[in-house]
Amino acid sequence: MSELQRFVVVAEGEPASLVAALAHRAGLVPVADVAVRRVFLDTADGRLHAAGGQLEWRVPVGPRAAASVVWTSTVTGETLGVVDLTGATGATGVAGVAGPVRTPADLPSGPVVDRLAELVEMRTLLPQGEVMSRLVTMALVDGEGKTTVRVVFDHSTLLGPAVLPAVVEVHPVRGYARQAERLGDLLRAQVTLQPSSEPLVDVVRQAAGAPPFLSSKLRLSLDRAGTAEQAWRDVFAELTATVHANVAGTRDDTDSEFLHDLRVAVRRIRSVLQEGRGVLPDEARERWRVAFKWLGDITTPTRDADVHLLDYPSLVASLPPERAADLAPLHGLLVDHQRQAHDELVAHLDSPRAAEALTEWGAWLAADWADAGPDAGRSAPVVVAARVQKAWRRVVRDGRRIDDAVPAEALHDLRKDAKRLRYLLECFGSVLDPDDVAVVVKALKGLQDCLGEFQDTEVQAGALGSFGDELVARGDVPAATLLAMGGVVEHLDERGRRARARFAERFAAFDHPDIRRRVRRLVTVPEGTDE
Amino acid sequence: MKILATYNIKGGVGKTAAAVNLAHRAAAEGRRVLVWDLDPQGAATFYFRVKPKVKGGGEALVSGRRDLDRAVKGTDFDNLDLVPADFSYRNLDLLLDDAKKPLGRLGKLLAPLRDDYDIVVLDCPPSISLASEAVFRASDALLVPLIPTTLSARTFDQLDVFVNDSPEVVKDLEVMGFFSMVDGRKRLHRDMVDELRARRPDLLRTEIPAATDVERMGVHRAPVAAYAPASRSARAYGDLWTEISGRL
Repeated sequence: MSELQRFVVVAEGEPASLVAALAHRAGLVPVADVAVRRVFLDTADGRLHAAGGQLEWRVPVGPRAAASVVWTSTVTGETLGVVDLTGATGATGVAGVAGPVRTPADLPSGPVVDRLAELVEMRTLLPQGEVMSRLVTMALVDGEGKTTVRVVFDHSTLLGPAVLPAVVEVHPVRGYARQAERLGDLLRAQVTLQPSSEPLVDVVRQAAGAPPFLSSKLRLSLDRAGTAEQAWRDVFAELTATVHANVAGTRDDTDSEFLHDLRVAVRRIRSVLQEGRGVLPDEARERWRVAFKWLGDITTPTRDADVHLLDYPSLVASLPPERAADLAPLHGLLVDHQRQAHDELVAHLDSPRAAEALTEWGAWLAADWADAGPDAGRSAPVVVAARVQKAWRRVVRDGRRIDDAVPAEALHDLRKDAKRLRYLLECFGSVLDPDDVAVVVKALKGLQDCLGEFQDTEVQAGALGSFGDELVARGDVPAATLLAMGGVVEHLDERGRRARARFAERFAAFDHPDIRRRVRRLVTVPEGTDE
Repeated sequence: MKILATYNIKGGVGKTAAAVNLAHRAAAEGRRVLVWDLDPQGAATFYFRVKPKVKGGGEALVSGRRDLDRAVKGTDFDNLDLVPADFSYRNLDLLLDDAKKPLGRLGKLLAPLRDDYDIVVLDCPPSISLASEAVFRASDALLVPLIPTTLSARTFDQLDVFVNDSPEVVKDLEVMGFFSMVDGRKRLHRDMVDELRARRPDLLRTEIPAATDVERMGVHRAPVAAYAPASRSARAYGDLWTEISGRL
């Protein structure tokens, strides 16, 4: 399907009359003319934006107007889905009529909401900006009375001082690309219109001062000609920015991904500190390892509780449908745990210790490292290659020792080794060959998924045991709940056994001659690089 | 992606009306729907105001010279697309006969669209032929409109025998029969509905009434719910869709 064409009205005067004149010249017929209040919604990491979509909670201006959620493609202009909120409530009991929804579960269930939920997952939908809009829809119609192109004139005003441009969009109808192109050519020839590639939601976000979308993916492009110290500094700067960007969302418990991304950034910082032997000043390195271990530790109980809640639907799904309701008391317990853990986390985050740690860390990053290690001034690729080689050898050595007889701890240790290698490659891979890094990370990911599943199922089964004890201690737990939990534990054990059975195959894929060749190429830095 | 086919050996039983109205209803619910008008008469294409023409004709599609995706036309309704009819579809049997593995051909043509659509509705011409057999092979369910008459019941039985006794053709297909064009004032219709329901308890509960609203589709060139959303017919197609989607 061809893409939509967007134009900004640049003429002085009333844009609507100008567009009306254009519509007359192009032979467009009116379809709809509505005034609406729109709140654009997206997750903090812009999942809908990344998928080429724009989601808005929309209420027509007027008495007893029905709210709806409208999801459109910013690429083709197609309506991806409309959810009418008239008298509707979602799984959370929120109607979404009185204000923007926070999660897809607030919406009445259906295919559109299912697709939306797949994209949004555990994140919360946050307002990105609010506008009042006049939306005039027109159509180019052929001899059969069939719409072949839709044109939308969108004149929005932001609630606030900023002025938004009026926009004309040509929405192609699938199978009628030629007509849309012809109409686009006509509009392009108008001096009063200027082609634009920026979707309205981006303009609104910018004008409303919405923060940039967060990303847990590292987009580092380190200087291959730089020193190891510079590389370590750049990685720390990026990871520290991620920590800061996620503190408020973690504190407010906006959604569980803020804490997840915060923890990943802290773990990466700890790993980069660990790999910084010989690059960083020894004393500072030790100090920050302790500080970030504490920062990581204070988040663990909340993350554990979040994970139990996130996994709850899959635990329920592992039971026969008629027994699903038996787990309800467990859900109540998990919610209590999460609340309590989160309150404690907030107290830690608000403590002088946390504030000082982050402030002093920032100051240390900005300061000169007079007592930096002997590797600090060496070439970044050389130092990184040596670290990658060491971490990779460790994974291969330990992995080859694992057979069906070794205790579970050996797999857990290997999981940590694999994570260390993964962080190294993700944080510093840009000073090495990116293609080789991508292939090795993919193979490593396959191994990590298997080790992660083994670890998670074991931890979850153990946690369910303590939750069972706790429910019994409360004294009012139905026997059916304990039986259902027993069923879930059996299911988890089986999943764990299957993960362990997959290990040999996953490890063989990682320890494959092709991957070994890639790693050798990665860690072979050309002579003369380390001057 | 679920593939449904509105099918009956007999003509004039409300196949196309069912295809168009059920597809419209499914799309209104938010499902991504594609209607493929396989009937060279092109009634579904006419209802959606699309020209009954496919570049290169049925031969280009069946031979794979032209991707089905490129023949798709957006209708005037969100999430509802159409592969229009082409007069060359009258030779669909011959075209399929020339193709390798003709029975699996339609499924193969539709396979690349698996991620684009939730529901595909094949509106089939009234016959039993190689093309019908290819439809049976490609589909998850046959939606069979039945006028409550003796002949209609007889053809449904014939279809049933074929579907159940032809494992070389039909792999995994659910047959969902429903009463169509039911005139509650006619004694014969009432009796036949009762008799057939007693004999075939698996028939869908919803009945599509014989109504002028449906006949007016040709005037409005749109699904009933687009111009008469509160009508008995629009409600009946809505209920029928709910019943069908519950069985999918």
